[in-house]
This record gives sequence, C-alpha cells and structure tokens, in this order.
Amino acid sequence: MENLEDLKILAEQWSHQGIEYLQKIPPTQLYAAIGVLLFTTILLFLSVRLVRRTKSNTVLLSGLSGSGKTVLFYQLRDGSSHQGTVTSMEPNEGTFVLHSENTKKGKIKPVHLVDVPGHSRLRPKLEEFLPQAAAIVFVVDALEFLPNCRAASEYLYDILTNANVVKKKIPVLLCCNKTDKLTAHTKEFIRKQMEKEIEKLRASRSAVSTADIANDFTIGIEGEVFSFSHCSNKVTVAEASGLTGETVQIEDFIREYIKP
Amino acid sequence: MLEQLLIFTRGGLILWTCKEIGNALKGSPIDTLIRSCLLEERSGAVSFNYDAPGAAYTLKWTFHNDLGLVFVAVYQRILHLLYVDDLLSMVKQSFSEIYDPKRMSYDDFDETFRQLRIEAEARAEELRKTKQVGKPVSSVKKQGQVSKAGLEGGNKRVSEGGSKKDDGDGNKAKVSTLTNGHSNGNHQMEDDSQETDLANGKENTSCNVAVDLSKLQKLRSKGVRGRGGVRKTDSIGNKSSKVAAAEPAKKATKKNRVWDDAAPKQSKLDFTDSVDDNGNNDHVDIVAADQGESMMDKEEVFSSDSESEDDDEPGSDEKPAEAKKKGWFSSVFQSITGKANLEKTDLGPALKALKERLMTKNVAEEIAEKLCESVEASLEGKKLSSFTRISSTVQAAMEDALVRILTPRRSIDILRDVHAAKEQRKPYVVVFVGVNGVGKSTNLAKVAYWLQQHKVSVMMAACDTFRSGAVEQLRTHARRLQIPIFEKGYEKDPAVVAKEAIQEATRNGSDVVLVDTAGRMQDNEPLMRALSKLINLNQPDLVLFVGEALVGNDAVDQLSKFNQKLSDLSTSGNPRLIDGILLTKFDTIDDKVGAALSMVYISGSPVMFVGCGQSYTDLKKLNVKAIVKTLLK
Repeated sequence: MENLEDLKILAEQWSHQGIEYLQKIPPTQLYAAIGVLLFTTILLFLSVRLVRRTKSNTVLLSGLSGSGKTVLFYQLRDGSSHQGTVTSMEPNEGTFVLHSENTKKGKIKPVHLVDVPGHSRLRPKLEEFLPQAAAIVFVVDALEFLPNCRAASEYLYDILTNANVVKKKIPVLLCCNKTDKLTAHTKEFIRKQMEKEIEKLRASRSAVSTADIANDFTIGIEGEVFSFSHCSNKVTVAEASGLTGETVQIEDFIREYIKP
Repeated sequence: MLEQLLIFTRGGLILWTCKEIGNALKGSPIDTLIRSCLLEERSGAVSFNYDAPGAAYTLKWTFHNDLGLVFVAVYQRILHLLYVDDLLSMVKQSFSEIYDPKRMSYDDFDETFRQLRIEAEARAEELRKTKQVGKPVSSVKKQGQVSKAGLEGGNKRVSEGGSKKDDGDGNKAKVSTLTNGHSNGNHQMEDDSQETDLANGKENTSCNVAVDLSKLQKLRSKGVRGRGGVRKTDSIGNKSSKVAAAEPAKKATKKNRVWDDAAPKQSKLDFTDSVDDNGNNDHVDIVAADQGESMMDKEEVFSSDSESEDDDEPGSDEKPAEAKKKGWFSSVFQSITGKANLEKTDLGPALKALKERLMTKNVAEEIAEKLCESVEASLEGKKLSSFTRISSTVQAAMEDALVRILTPRRSIDILRDVHAAKEQRKPYVVVFVGVNGVGKSTNLAKVAYWLQQHKVSVMMAACDTFRSGAVEQLRTHARRLQIPIFEKGYEKDPAVVAKEAIQEATRNGSDVVLVDTAGRMQDNEPLMRALSKLINLNQPDLVLFVGEALVGNDAVDQLSKFNQKLSDLSTSGNPRLIDGILLTKFDTIDDKVGAALSMVYISGSPVMFVGCGQSYTDLKKLNVKAIVKTLLK
C-alpha cells in the first residue's frame, strides 16, 4: 500500500515536471513536433498495410516441354484451348480471374498466372519468375511419363532445391496432365517414381557435396529414402486434363494459396 | 501446293490455320522447327527441311517482332513454290492489321487469305512466264549467304524456288534446285559457264547478286570435295555424300612415308613393351590420391564488373563527322520518344559493330554472321522502348541469344549418367576424339582424376595405337592415378582394342571406361572411317570432341566434318554424333573465348568440361554468364 502511494506521488511529480518542461517550449515547435510524429506514424501504418497486401498472387506453371502447360494456361483463363498450341518460345503471362469462377458473384481477387516455357534452352526464364511466385504447379505428362521421368525429376529437383523455394516455402503441386487418355499413369505411380528418381539424384548430387555448385540446398532427410513429405514446403499431387478442361484440382490448389 | 500455313504467338498459342487445305501434317514439323531452328538462333536461315516417314516438307517462316507473332508455311519439298515468301509477307501485313491480343479466333481471315493466295500464285505465274522469254540470269539469289561452304548441318538449305512446275525442263530445273553447302560452289561456277541452262532455271524474283569472285576462290580452297573437274549437270543429281564415297577408294590403306631414298625397312616397327607388372616402374612417383580438389568442384569466383554502358558505342566512331552528329542527334531523339520501328537499316551498323567485336574475340566469321542475322530477324519491326538506344537493344538481344545458345540442351550431369549405367551393370564408355595435338590424352587423365575423386572406378583404354609413346603416356598416368589400363601396344586395330577393353571392364567391374584415340584431321578419309568404325562397333555412351580454345575459324570445319563423317559412315539407322565438347587450353587465351561459342553453335552439343591447365586439377565447368560477359565486353 505504501509503495503504491509512493509511486503515485513520484508519478505526479514527474508529470508536473514534464508539463512544466513542455510549457517552456514555444508552441510552434511543439505543433511541428507533433505534426511530424503523427505523419510518420501514419506513414508506417500505411506501409505496413501495403506490404501485407502485396502478398504475391503469382502462380507459376512449369514442367518439361510438351507436358501441356500452355493448354492448361488457356483452359484456366478462357475455358478452352482454342486451336491448339505449339512449343512456346516465350512465357505466357496473364492476370485474370479463373474462368470457372467468372460466374461467381462478388469481387474475386485475380490470379497472376505465368506459363514458363519448358524447353531446356529457356530454363533461365524460370529463375526470373521464381522470386515472385506464391505457388508452383509442376506439370507432368502422365501419358509419356517413363521416357521423360529422368528429365522431369531433374527439373523438379532443381526447383525444390532452389533458394527462393526453400526459403519462402513455396508450395508445389505435382500435376499429372493428360489423364483423359486410357494409358495415362495414375498419380500414385507418378509420385512414387518421382520420389525414387529424386532419391537417386540426391545420392549422386550430394556426392559432390563439398561444393555443390548446381544446387543451393539439399532436400530430404539424411539416411531415409526421400519422400515428398520431407520437404519443408508442401508438395501435393493432383490430376488434370488440359484438353477436356478437367482442371478442378489445379484451381482448388490455386485458390488455397491465393485467397479470393 | 501449300500443305499448311500457320500463325501462332511466340507464347505458343495457334491463332489461325488455313482450313481450306485440310491436310493434317505428318509428324510434327512445327515443333521440330521451333526446337532445332528458331530456338537455336538459326532464324536467319531461309528455310528448314523436315523429314518424317511418308513426307518431306520444307518450312519457311517470318516474324512479326512487334506483336510477337510467327508465320509459318509448310509445303512439300519436291514442289518449289515461288510465291511462298511473297505470300508470307502479305499475310503478315494483313494479319497484323486485324490482330488483337484479346481475340483468339480469326475465322474472318480465311477469306482474306484465300484472296491473298490467289494473288500471290497469279503473280508468281506471271513472273515465271516473263522469265521464260530467255533472260539469262547470272547468279543465284542469296548466293552470298549460301556460299559459306563450311556450313552443312543437314537442315541448312537455300531454297531457290526454281521453276519446278515447268514440264519441259526436267533435269535442267534440277540444276537450280539441288543445293547443298558444297554443291553451291560448283553450282555457281557452272552458272557462269553454261548460261543456256539458266534461261529458264533460275528464279530470282528480286535482285541479282553479283558473283563474287573472291568468294569463289574461298569456296574452292575450302575443300569442295572432289568436284573440281565435274561440270556436267547430271552429276549434280548425286547427293554430295555419294560423291564423297565415289572418291577414289585407292586411299584405303596408308602407306608408310619414305623420307629418303633409302630402302624402306622390311620389318614393322613395333616397340610394344612386353607387359611387365612392376619391373622398372618403381621410380615413377605414385600420385597421392589427393592432389587437391579438381576445379570441377570448386565454385567459380568471378568478380562482377560494373556494367560499363558508356563504352559500347564503337560503331559511332566509324561514321564520318557530319553524319555522326546527325546520327547521334536523331538516335537520341528517337531513343527518348521511343516510337521508332526498328528497320534493317537501323540495325545494320549496330549489328556490324557487334559482329566485329565478336570476331575480335575469336568467334568464327560465319558463326558471327549467322548470329547477327538471327538477332536481326528477331528485332526487325519491333518498337523501340523509350529511353533505350538501338545499340543497347541490340546488345540485350544478342546477350539473350548467346545465353540461349550456350545453355545446354540436355543435362550434362555425367555423374548421374554413370550411376544410371552402373545400375544396369554396364560400364559407361567415353571416347575422346579430336584433331592432332589438342590435348586428348592430358584431359583424359584429368577426367579420370575427377571421376576418381567422386568414388567412381575408372579404366583407361589405350586405343591410340599410332603415335609413338601414346601408350606409354597413358600408362604413366594410370600408374600415377592407380587405375587400371587396357592396352594392346601399337599397330593394332583401335576398334578391336576398344571392344576388348570394354569387355575387360565389364569383367572387373569398372564403372567408367575412358577411350583415348589418335588425333586425326577432319579431311582424312581413311582415318575418319576408322574412327567411325570404332564408334559403330562399340556404341559408346558419350562421344567427347576435344577442341582447343585457340582454334579460330577451323573449329567450324572440324566439328561439322566430324559430325558429317560420323553420320555418313555409320552403318546403323541412328548414327552416333558428337555428344559433348571438351574445350582445352582455356588458360592460354585471355578473353578470346569465342571458340566455345563457335563450337557449340555449329554442333549443338554442350561444352561438358573446360581444361584450363596441365595438371590433374585443372578441369572445370563452363560458366555461361562469364563467357557471355567476356564476349560482349
């Protein structure tokens, strides 16, 4: 009780002193100081809000050449792949509301979708877009999977060990395209094969471990067989078909990470 | 008749195809065109040939760089349609008027196209008729570009559009149409001598390129194969490869050189050491397993120079003073407003300066030329963005193109391939080929050292049975590195030695077999045949061409001839070509790194290793960005 009284008296003394001090300062300076203070707080407040708002809405469509990225891009955008596609030489970019959501009411946040060419000579283009990606869809051809398995797994490995992807924990969707065809493999099969191949890659690439120039990070847990659950970012598998417009799973994935 | 005409965006979406001609194309010519021509920076070429089972097409294309559109026409190769170029440019013009990035279907264009086509065909007919009246045309269109004899790569072809449709001219017309990097040389000579042939043959809708005598000389000396005396039109009917084969088979065996008048020795010189285990080898130092890390594994540390943008105007120095002032002012003006559409004339000086710069960096002349054409094709018609000079746009485009060429088309992860072969319990076979004195044996030892550091068991095969001391050289390396070596001495058939080496490796479980071959000139027919036999017999996993960085224009010739010989003399349907390049003596050149670019461009195979010194650790990977920076400095 006594302590509280003492504190109260001390506080009163200090406040008196403060008010006396303040009254000594000429008023213009005071107003100026208050003005500046207010201004900076408002600025800080706004910038914090802005930074939070510009959470990226970029989704990358990547994968080997011929896996169907451009078809998927146009399906997601327009609902049809028009008259067909050829090997892309440049990325396709667009910011739009997904086609299936056109009918929904209300303001939906548009998605910035980028289709990066899969040709190996254009690989550096992917590096340009990775820093701004919020999610990555890795498209795999489920029909011609086995001949391209090695190349696809190397590409996926490069993406998963990229510095940007690891640090920001960008989620990856392994999308098996062309599932409308009869002889297409199932997503479980593809997932297991990719895990096996990446395991092999892990072993051979980490043999160069003292100076792994090619990859910035290694993935997986030491001593255990690689599985996608070991990655720090989330990796899921889905099926889709570009030609028939079966893109529900991809859209769900996109919407999961880019809130409408 | 046109097979198909497509319009698509650079991003890959097809905007319009001609629905009248409903033929489905066999195979996938468009995709192949994009992959092997447009993305390989060969867009300056005139046409592209595509062969599929059941069809042989020729493709022609044009770009609209501003809107990012590509127009491609496909037709059968045996027809030589005159009007295709014309039609393409007309289509380009009229389509760009109706193009809208939001629109995806352009059905109304069908009508326009039909009219354009009728127009173009009519015009071509007229031109042909007027020519038949007997105007001797003295040269062939675009001879200047084509007469670069070194460039063959099966797909390079100059379409001349000779009048195929004329029935009367059976084989005469064939004269004009058969083209090949080599045959053009003679072709030109024949044109001069036999003007009567040309009365109806040569197309030439536009300018007549004057015959450049100096180019003729160059062509002749550049190894136009064995066609010297042949001037008949019928002989051209043969493909040049047949001519090569028809060359005297008398060169089959190589006779020993007799230098003096002394009688040749009767006995063959064979200094093969009887293989003794450890006899007199004690004095040879056995290299400790660690000479340090091979530079392959070290990170490349290169200083990032500040971008020097002020000193990139060498072109302006060439212009005379008055024109310089005006040129500078207008270019500055244009750069600020940024409205100008780039024309060929604008790009000309900048590209020329760039080409000179590349050539001072030891890039082969033809390669620099082709690259400049390709960049020109990709920039023509593009709108200049504001506040950029023409030269900086050109520089940026060239840099882009160079990075694209030097980026490998397929994975160059050898360790991964070795592991894959190990799983199949086969040894991974690498054959080192190249001309004399480039450093095959030295670099073979370096690669062996590097592989050993990564716990891969290596075996060497001494298939250089010709040069004195080659086997001993490899033996010394093997002893220092403590790896097994398979040798059979001298004067043995290298193909057989290699085969036995591989069998031995399978037996004793080596992961990799490195096969050393003798150096040989690309023009030497019997030696190239022997090499082809070695490769066919053993089907190696990797054929590594060893080339030195000091080489200049000869790099183009070496690589193209090697590839050609390997493909011509191959017995199976799928010829093995050069899979990778090993660039040696990189430490001797300071910044004249152009040889790397020439080799990669002409062969399409990536540089897998770079040798930068003469000790075991001097082997590293190619740093694409550093090379591009050095080339454009």
